[in-house]
Order: sequence, then structure tokens, then C-alpha cells
Amino acid sequence: MKKNTTNTEELETRHRGNWKEKIKPYLYIAPAFVGIGLFTIYPVIKVLIWSFQKVNQLDTSKTKWVGMKNYSYLLSNGAFQKTLLNTFIYTGATLAIIMTCALILAFWLNKSQGHLTMFTQGAAFMPHVISSVSIALVFSMMMNPSFGLFNKVLTAVGLPASPWLTSSSTAMPSVVGVASWKAIGYYCLIIIGALQSISASIYEAASLDNAGAGVTLRKITIPMISPQLFFVMITMTIGSFKVFDTVRLLTDGGPNNATSVLVYYIYKQVFWESNIGRACAAGIVLLVLVGVLTVIYFRLLSKRVHYQ
Amino acid sequence: MGEIVLKNVTKKFGSNTVIQNLNLTIKDGSFTVLVGPSGCGKTTLLRMIAGIGPQTSGTVCIDGKDISEVAPGDRGVAMVFQNYAIYPTMSVYENIEFGLKNNHIPKDKRRKLVDDACEKVGLQELKDRQPNALSGGQRQRVALARAIVKQPSVFLMDEPLSNLDAKLRVQMRVELIELHHKLKTTFVYVTHDQIEAMSMADTIVLMNEGKIMQMDSPRKLYRDPDNLFAARFIGSPAMNIRRFGNEEYVLGFRPEKGIISTQEPQGCYRTSGTVVAKEDLGSEIHYSVRDMYDDVSVIRSEEDDITVGEKVWIGAKPENIYLFGNDQLRIREDDPRYPDLCRQVLALQ
Repeated sequence: MKKNTTNTEELETRHRGNWKEKIKPYLYIAPAFVGIGLFTIYPVIKVLIWSFQKVNQLDTSKTKWVGMKNYSYLLSNGAFQKTLLNTFIYTGATLAIIMTCALILAFWLNKSQGHLTMFTQGAAFMPHVISSVSIALVFSMMMNPSFGLFNKVLTAVGLPASPWLTSSSTAMPSVVGVASWKAIGYYCLIIIGALQSISASIYEAASLDNAGAGVTLRKITIPMISPQLFFVMITMTIGSFKVFDTVRLLTDGGPNNATSVLVYYIYKQVFWESNIGRACAAGIVLLVLVGVLTVIYFRLLSKRVHYQ
Repeated sequence: MGEIVLKNVTKKFGSNTVIQNLNLTIKDGSFTVLVGPSGCGKTTLLRMIAGIGPQTSGTVCIDGKDISEVAPGDRGVAMVFQNYAIYPTMSVYENIEFGLKNNHIPKDKRRKLVDDACEKVGLQELKDRQPNALSGGQRQRVALARAIVKQPSVFLMDEPLSNLDAKLRVQMRVELIELHHKLKTTFVYVTHDQIEAMSMADTIVLMNEGKIMQMDSPRKLYRDPDNLFAARFIGSPAMNIRRFGNEEYVLGFRPEKGIISTQEPQGCYRTSGTVVAKEDLGSEIHYSVRDMYDDVSVIRSEEDDITVGEKVWIGAKPENIYLFGNDQLRIREDDPRYPDLCRQVLALQ
């Protein structure tokens, strides 16, 4: 019994002496945590709070709580609904186009070697390096209905001219086209990297196993690059949901809200309408949507992704 | 059945010719080992037979049929790769089944064949595992099962044991020999390890710089080499050699046939030197002796009191000496130069 007491005392002393040791790791990570708290967690909480308020930027004492009013306005507002729909269309279309084109381009570039391949790889990646402003400027010029290059080419080959960015029916496809053109090279490079990590002997083994091109693609190539494809899909979806610059520079959300997307809507609420509360509520909607989509992706696809 | 005939095959990589006009016949049911130093073209030859690295010119025949234009999957061959090339996204069962599935074999027959193959290599318990949960030896077995299941007429193996640890390698060596006896099909095995070649092959094809230096049984290759390359490549430690007769001829003797003694041996080739190393391996002792020309290795199976630093005589009896000409070819007893060269060797100091 006595021995037990001594043991407990010893332990307690050791514990008391150890508090410095215990606190050390927290001190090491404290600077990073302060940064994250200040620049990530605090803004998110602030946005969440503002989304329930009518914010007065000039006199903060006049800011008042409005409960769910901002949210209910958004969900019943036609322009916001259109914005949401546009965002989904934009995301779906860019995802489908970029994925397909990047995959095809990557397979082709991975198979062939030589100067042409090197050139194509560089050329495909180039748009990623060029600033969005330059791209928007060049494309708005080329898409100009009266003197743009695209319509000149269309009429030269006997096709009808298109209004491109100036009609609500063609504006969204035009924006999607520009955005896809900009991103294909980057995602293609990621997929090429994945393809090149597959050992040549796997394909040789498959050819000895009498696997045709289709079977090899379905059973070997796609499963083996699935982690990278999954990563590309998630980052691309999040990126597309947050699209702003392309829309702002090419169409300003128009014509008639045909290309207005979520982040552009938020921007308009802040800088045109000075409605911080509503902008914050839209921001939270964006956050929730991205979160829900990511969870759905993980639920649906994670079983099909093969991590080695 | 699986006799392989390569006729006048040439393989070029760009402007670099790796194999030129090579002819080789591999007997049906044999365990043939292609051995040689790195870059000698042995793997290239194997890949030609498999069809995954086709020859630039010449023909490859299996059982008299020219298969030069036949796709790898239709050649009736199976291959075990050096890195096993297991499909990492498929389970063990799916890996083994994949080839059968592609050949449209019915499901119940597939299951039976896969089960049989797994039993042959001891994989019954691991069929549902993913490759990343397997050890090196188990992966090796999957690769083997994947080859066995196709019931090919020819097994091709590209250094399949080189990624295993020494103990497992010895065990797998025995298992492969047993497997060959069981299956009775043609095995073509590539290795750079001459011990592996000696222990497994019934025929060794020794290659260097894209040419076949000698093709014989392990015993014949060891005891009766045709040229200096064969003599030096097979055997560990390598055969001791010394140039003589104005550097025009080479004499050689195997370390285990060497004599080491403190007294000058009589009636044989002899030279004196200092013992620079004595390695006691338990069953035998390896001596390295430095004479005025080179280091000479001698292996003795009995303990003696020779120590490092001691002056000793090294020798070899005339019947244990191999002679080679300037063209590196062997000078045998029936060669007119032989008696005179023998006398020269015995007079050397």
C-alpha cells in the first residue's frame, strides 16, 4: 500500500515537471495556427455571421440581425436561381469538355515522341501561363460578331456567323469554350504524368495476356490513373464553381444574366449593390454546394479509385 | 510442344545493332538459360520470342510455325517479368484470370484453371488479396501462376529471381526446377547470374555482345569451355589466367584445381607469390595469392597452416590447364600446337 502511494507521488512529480515538455509541441505549431485562425477561420466565421445580418458598412452600429432573410431572398430570387443554374451548367460543361479533351490529348502525347509532341505539349500548356486578362482580350476580339476572326472563318467556309458573346443563347458556350481552352493543357500535363508512371512491362504483360486496346484502357490504364483523375475532377469542380475572372472579363455576366455565375453574383452584390449580408449568404451557399459535391464525389467514386 | 527456332535474327535500336544474324534452336521441353553480362542481348532475345520487342529482321518459329507476325497474346507463350508486372489494381485472382478472360474461356473453367494454378504455386489462401498486400516472394508466385494458368507451350522468364533475397532465391530456384519437371514444357530463362544458370539449366546459352559464345550443358560449359570468355564467365571465383609466349597465348586453371603449397610443386605449371587474403567459408578456404603478374585464386577444402603474408607456391597439373590462342579460342589436345605449348607452360616460372 505504501509502495503504491510512493509510486503515485513519483508520477505526480514527474507530471508537474513535465508541463514544459507538454506545452512545447503546441508552441511549435502556434505561429501556423495563428495564421490559419486569422486568415481562414476568422473570415469564414465573420462571413457566416454577416450572412445573417443587414450590414451597414458606413456605420457598423446600424448593422442589424435579420435571421434567415438573406437566404430566403436568395432562394426565391429569380436572378440568383439563374445564377445557380448557370454555375451548374458551366461546371458540368467545362468538366466534360476538359476531361475528355485532356484525356485524349494526354493519350496521344504519351504515345508519340519527337519534336511535334514536345511542341504540342508546350503549346497545350501555354494558355495556362498566359494571364486571363490577355486571353479574355484576345478572345473578345476574335469573337466580335462584326470584325472578329471566328466569324470571318465561319463565313469563309460558308457557315452562318455566330453572335458569340453577344447573344444569351451563345454566350455561355463561348465562355465555356474559352475556359476549357485555357485549362486543357494543365490537366493534360497531370494526366500525362500519371500515364508515364505506369511501367511499360504492365502493358507488355497485358499484350501477352491477349488484352485488346479497349480492355487495356478499361482494366489497366484508367484504374491505374484513377487517383489522378479523381484529383483532377475534384479540383476542376471546385475551380469551376468559383469561376469569376473569365466571366467578368468576357461578358460581365451578360447578356441578360446568361453567364452570371455564383462568384460573379457575390461580386455584384458587394461592389454594385453594397449588400454585404446577401453576398455573404451567397458565399455560404457556394461553400455548402462545393462541400456537398465533394462528399458526393467521395461517396460515389472513392471505391473506384485504386490507390496503390 | 515448344521448340523455338530463331533464324538469322537481327535487332537494331535506332542505328545501334544489338544482335546480328543470330541463329539459335531451343529444344522442346528443355530448361534453357540465356546467360551473359549486362547488355549482351539476352533479354532482347527473350522479348523477340515473346513478341513484345520484335526482331528487325529474321524469323522466329515455335514448333515449326513462323510466328514473326503473330501478336504476343496469340503465340502460346507466357512470360514472367523481372519486376513481375502484376496489375496493381486487380486482386491476385483477377491477375491470374485476366489472360483467360481475354481468351473468352467460360467462367467455371476459368475458376478451375485459376484454382489449379494457385495450388501449384501455393497461393490458395491469398487469392483475394490486393498486390500491395503481398511480399516479394508472393508477388513472384502470382507472376508464375499467371504464366502457368495459360498452359503455354513456352515459358519465358526474365531474371525472375533477381528481386528476391538470397534465401528466397535459393528456395524459388528449387521450386522452378520442380515446376519444370511437373509441366514438362520449354522454359527459357534469362539471368546474369552464372550460379543460377548452372543450377537450373539443362542447356546454357552463353552470350556476349549479341553473339552466342557457347551453347552446352552446364557441366560441359564448365569443364570444356570453347573460348576464354566462357572459361572466365562461368565459375566463381573466375578461372585464373596468365599470358605467355610473347603474350600470344593464355593459360588458365580453375581455383579449385589449383595447388597451394610452401614447397615447390613438381611436374606442373607453377608460380610463386604472397598470400594477400585467406577467406575461411567453413566448407572451403579461398586464398588470394599475388605473384609477379596478377592475383591468383585457389580454393582448398581442407584446413592448413598457410597464413596471410606467407610466401607460397601456386601450381596446376597439366590436365587441369586450359590453353587459349590469341583469338581467344580454346587450343585443345588435338591441336598441333598443343604439345609444344604444354612444354612451354611447364617451363614457366
